[in-house]
Amino acid sequence: MLLVSSRMSIPFMMFGTQMRAGPYRHLIGKQLTPHVDLHRKTCWLHSTVAMRWRTSTSPAPVLTVTPARGLVDEPISIKAGFMPPQYPVTLCAQMRSEKGDLWEAFGHYKTSADGTVNLARDHSVGGSYLGCEPMGLFWALQPAPGERDGLRLRKKNVETPFIVDISLLEGHVTPRERENSELAVATTERWYMAPGVQRIDIRQNGVVGTLFLPPGPGRFPAVLDVWGMGGGLVEYRSSLAASRGFASFSIAYMEHKDLTVQLDIDSSDAYMKKAIDILRDHPQICGDRIGVISLCYGVYLTLRTATLADVNPSCLVCINGPAGTNMEIVQTFCKPQSSESDQKCWPRNTAGYICFKDTTLPQNYSPGTLVKIENLSCPLLYVLGEDDQNLSSTENSKLIEDGLKTAGKSYLYTRLSYPGAGHLIEPPYAPHTRMSYWRVKPEKLPTLWGGNIVSHAAAQEESWREILKFLDKNLRA
Amino acid sequence: MWRQQRSVHLSVRPSRGLVDEKVAILVQSAPPGARITLCAFHRCEDRHGWEAFAHYLTDAAGSLNVSRDPSLGGTYSGVEQMGLFWSIRPVPGSHPGLRLRKKNVQTPMEFTISVYQDHFTDFTDQVPLASQTVERWYMAPGVLRTPIKDHELTATLFLPTGPGPFPAILDLWGGGGQLVEYRAALLASHGFATLALDYMTPKITVETGKMVDNTYFERAFTFLQQHPGVLAERVAMLGLSFGVCVTLKMAAYSHVVKPRCAVCISGSHVQPVDGTMADILSYFDRNGHKIQLNDENQAILRNLLLPIPTDPAFKVDVGRVQCPLLVVAGEDDQNWPAAESAQDMKEMMERAGNAHLLTVLSYPNAGHLLEPPYSPHTRASSFRSVGSREKITALWGGHCAAHSLAQEDAWKKTLDFLRHHLYS
Repeated sequence: MLLVSSRMSIPFMMFGTQMRAGPYRHLIGKQLTPHVDLHRKTCWLHSTVAMRWRTSTSPAPVLTVTPARGLVDEPISIKAGFMPPQYPVTLCAQMRSEKGDLWEAFGHYKTSADGTVNLARDHSVGGSYLGCEPMGLFWALQPAPGERDGLRLRKKNVETPFIVDISLLEGHVTPRERENSELAVATTERWYMAPGVQRIDIRQNGVVGTLFLPPGPGRFPAVLDVWGMGGGLVEYRSSLAASRGFASFSIAYMEHKDLTVQLDIDSSDAYMKKAIDILRDHPQICGDRIGVISLCYGVYLTLRTATLADVNPSCLVCINGPAGTNMEIVQTFCKPQSSESDQKCWPRNTAGYICFKDTTLPQNYSPGTLVKIENLSCPLLYVLGEDDQNLSSTENSKLIEDGLKTAGKSYLYTRLSYPGAGHLIEPPYAPHTRMSYWRVKPEKLPTLWGGNIVSHAAAQEESWREILKFLDKNLRA
Repeated sequence: MWRQQRSVHLSVRPSRGLVDEKVAILVQSAPPGARITLCAFHRCEDRHGWEAFAHYLTDAAGSLNVSRDPSLGGTYSGVEQMGLFWSIRPVPGSHPGLRLRKKNVQTPMEFTISVYQDHFTDFTDQVPLASQTVERWYMAPGVLRTPIKDHELTATLFLPTGPGPFPAILDLWGGGGQLVEYRAALLASHGFATLALDYMTPKITVETGKMVDNTYFERAFTFLQQHPGVLAERVAMLGLSFGVCVTLKMAAYSHVVKPRCAVCISGSHVQPVDGTMADILSYFDRNGHKIQLNDENQAILRNLLLPIPTDPAFKVDVGRVQCPLLVVAGEDDQNWPAAESAQDMKEMMERAGNAHLLTVLSYPNAGHLLEPPYSPHTRASSFRSVGSREKITALWGGHCAAHSLAQEDAWKKTLDFLRHHLYS
């Protein structure tokens, strides 16, 4: 069994794993077959050692995960002990999404001289990630073989945690061998909401949203949280921001059953302003400390709102979004449910993936849709994934930067630019999705988001830290 | 008042943790050199309010780091990262004689940590600048809690997650009786299958009126050994207070109970060696005239067993113990003469030649109730022992800061001891 698993792990490493700059980069693309025999012999030797080590009176090794109930943006410590020295083990994470899909990640390790493994210290030599990656078991999660394709991991109910089982397995194996090789398990809960955060449904003045208030009397600085054209009401980034002390208001502006009107571009401006007013009027919110955090098309709506005369947000965070738009495409979204013919006019790249890169090039915008960026009067942090395959974020970020420079307002603009990161820059340790089905009705639409797994994970971790610092600086001081 | 101009930020991490894990408390975005008060509040299962507070000054950046900065006064002083937890006490006006103990280990203790502008001692009608909620758990996710319904035992088994097999611990509390689960849940969260056993007020005693005898403990120990998730050769005993009487008696004399190691907290080897549980309680009763009351009418029971007898019929022959023994004593224990007993045990074991098995942890100014770390210190509380009809206020002893330090150190060393002897 160990022989089979060692062979299986090698092709996985070649095709599925990216490596950060570091000691393993030279192995990319190399033929590893000549090393298999030696690897196979080593595994057989280890299996014999294993039989000598695990007697009927040996306790299972101890696996500890701290904190066991953490917020999703908190790193956790994963350690194991009471094993022989220089012993091959696999650390494996498995969890089920709310829809029941199995996601997993694993890393191959060797115990140190004192028989311990510590993910903050040790290097994975195979599996879903390589190198010293304390949180690799989370950001490298992928759907298990045989699960549905085109999946993206997103939490719908933020009032419950994701339950992730971290297992310690004997030898260098895949999660398929978990049952026969399991030495120890630790269960961890990953929460999007801290204790004491309040979740409040908002249906007010036609605005559909969810408000998250931090614990305490207030008054709190606040953020409006705006997602892209996927539609619906996405709460998890908001609940996390509230867990970090910001009142946060997720809004839906399309594809939600409680929306009374379908929004076109002009009515979106009024909708966004109403959403900000709801925050301004809230007794527990500081009316003069309201920012906006947005992704994708949400960035366009945010930039429009921020450049209107009577709306003065304190700061903006814009992730991979455009400064203009294509009216024809927008019209197809501003319907209760997009039809097959609507979806057919959504652009695709040569490989058949939905891709808005062309339509979001500044030169292709519909006349009159470009935001008047020169009217911006608050700091703007642009978070850019340089490998965004969904939208021309690089060009748009440049357009915004140039527009502010021309207006003598360069001091308002900061860009965080991440090579190798894709479109969906989410809170840290969330698994990377290079492609998923953005819509499944009336037919499945594979959509390319871009990014490679390691660079994207690093971008998510750093950008969230910088976003929180930016919000602290502009909404608290 | 600077509160209107600022949005002070309070962070407490992790916001959900085990009760023996530390938290980091930070205050940011306050003015530099500002007077602030940190306060912790908890409402227990019996609905009593508990609070702790400390006065601080923010630094030049308007920040406070509780792990780094000294409290200038309050329920604790100096640099105390976990002071807001271990120094909590009942709010003013509370019922006297309270003791904080978690009954339902499947839910967390919720604390509200708040920061106030200026230095306060009375928080009535004060509005904090910011608050956070923290959950403190006795049970890690995945630990399995199973009430034991057969084997004529009144007990709860806590099993860690995973395939096992696990070493195990028989967990015994003291003369107050009841089935107390929280320490067992915490031990299971650290990888030990643990059986919390009620031996003072079990169902069988309630039904028959008769106290249990040695066979009850043998049954409990054997139950653990025979559990499919437990390694039979790696079962330890951990007892506190009267639980030490049981632990030492079993370790020294039982042909059935052979613990791999034993931990004895705040107890004594003094007891009529051939006696049943009822005999031991009678022995204490006969010495009842030695109970003293202090000025606050709190009962000091330690003299019931003093002076340590020289007659071998009245103390467990610890020279017969064949397993590693960790003895933990608070030198200000006013309930049991734990430190004197530890000293006598050491001398007995030196004479018998098995002193190499003994480790003694003796803590100046620590009292009787040496609990898991960051639990509040209880110097005195209402108590009714099983052998007695009346409720008294028992003086447990200990001084808050020293006792809390002792709890933290003793727990760490207890876990190290258990891991060393049960896992290595």
